[in-house]
Amino acid sequence: MSFEPKILGIACNWCTYTGADLAGTTRLQYPQNLRVVRVMCSSRINPSFIFRAFQMGADGVLIGGCHPGDCHYNTGNLYARRRLAVTKKILDFSGMEPERFRVEWISASEGNKFAEVVTEFTEQIRKLGPQTKFKIAL
Amino acid sequence: MAISFKQIEEKLKAESKRLLETGQVSVVLAYQNGYDEKHPMPYAAKCVSDVENIIFNEYCNFNMARYLVRYSRGTKIAIAVKAADSRAVIQLLHEEKVCREDVVVMGIPVYGMKNSETGQEIDGQTTCGLYNPVLYDILLGEEIHGKPVVSPFEVLTPYEAMDREDRFVFWKKEFDRCIRCYACRKACPMCYCDPCFIDQQKPRWGEKSPQSSGNFMYHLTRFHHLAGRCVDCGECSRACPVNIPLYLFHKKMAKECKEMFGQGAGMSLKDKPVLINFRVDDSDKILE
Repeated sequence: MSFEPKILGIACNWCTYTGADLAGTTRLQYPQNLRVVRVMCSSRINPSFIFRAFQMGADGVLIGGCHPGDCHYNTGNLYARRRLAVTKKILDFSGMEPERFRVEWISASEGNKFAEVVTEFTEQIRKLGPQTKFKIAL
Repeated sequence: MAISFKQIEEKLKAESKRLLETGQVSVVLAYQNGYDEKHPMPYAAKCVSDVENIIFNEYCNFNMARYLVRYSRGTKIAIAVKAADSRAVIQLLHEEKVCREDVVVMGIPVYGMKNSETGQEIDGQTTCGLYNPVLYDILLGEEIHGKPVVSPFEVLTPYEAMDREDRFVFWKKEFDRCIRCYACRKACPMCYCDPCFIDQQKPRWGEKSPQSSGNFMYHLTRFHHLAGRCVDCGECSRACPVNIPLYLFHKKMAKECKEMFGQGAGMSLKDKPVLINFRVDDSDKILE
């Protein structure tokens, strides 16, 4: 059987989730490998969510937030940017491929960009193959 | 110029005595003798007669800032700090765990501290490589100048050069040895959460038994929680009974934070810690 990546998407309610909605209503095609979780802001994402997702068998984690400066709560994604940058460095130094973790700024009107990013990211993960480093043998 | 530990000890005793006598402080956090001179212990002197138990020698590595958060607000505390410890005090002040007017910081400029287990000098290897305390009210001794500046990040070079797969194997081997005694957490001046995320039942962040998956979860999240806050005292690695080189990961995070945001933890009273701060013009490149 060919490898179908499991990708966790964490999307901010105001921009990326609405963007995903737009991609849906405009009937854009994108791979079904993404499982989207909606959060109210990208700064609500606890870095442990990401480590835990990898442990529970996610092959990649995609995080979507508003463009810096466009946050619904004014400054949320600016904190998130710093925090998630550190998360990426931790993944890198611990030996996990940092390519499996991606942060994208997608606004509510960028349905196209959402579909593009998901397609591209899924292909990237497909090339990397299954994630086995952090995965717990259940 | 060699450091006279005896002289520092005398000064430490004299200052502690003065502070306790005048009632400026009710507790002095310093060191006392353990079962031999190589194994000192943390000590809280509470009255003038306790002062004679205070010692200071090259094995007094403990970061006494760890004990600051144990006292209730308003307790006047005098604390003996070395360079890294003073950074921890600054970081605790930023995080509002202590008030500036409640602490009297007795700075000790020192080098040549030794690991009591291996007898090796620890400057720059497992600690931040500074000699002079960043913050102090009373300086015990004279500021040290002219000693070569040791880069705290030099020890990282071979690990950064490692292949990613090898690095994963390295960390997996190290973390698999973890027995989850949480000595690293207990020794750390910045680890004061109650309960710690790993002790929470709901949500359950990771397995609590010492097995690979839970160990990864615990350590990686701890590194994340300490990113931009770790003052590089190296106490976690010295406290570790199975000698996991935790300081390497902390140093790496400190290095990355310094590169990305341009400041080190606890280096000044003005700069806010990096992860509770932001700049609108932070580059998106840091996410790549």
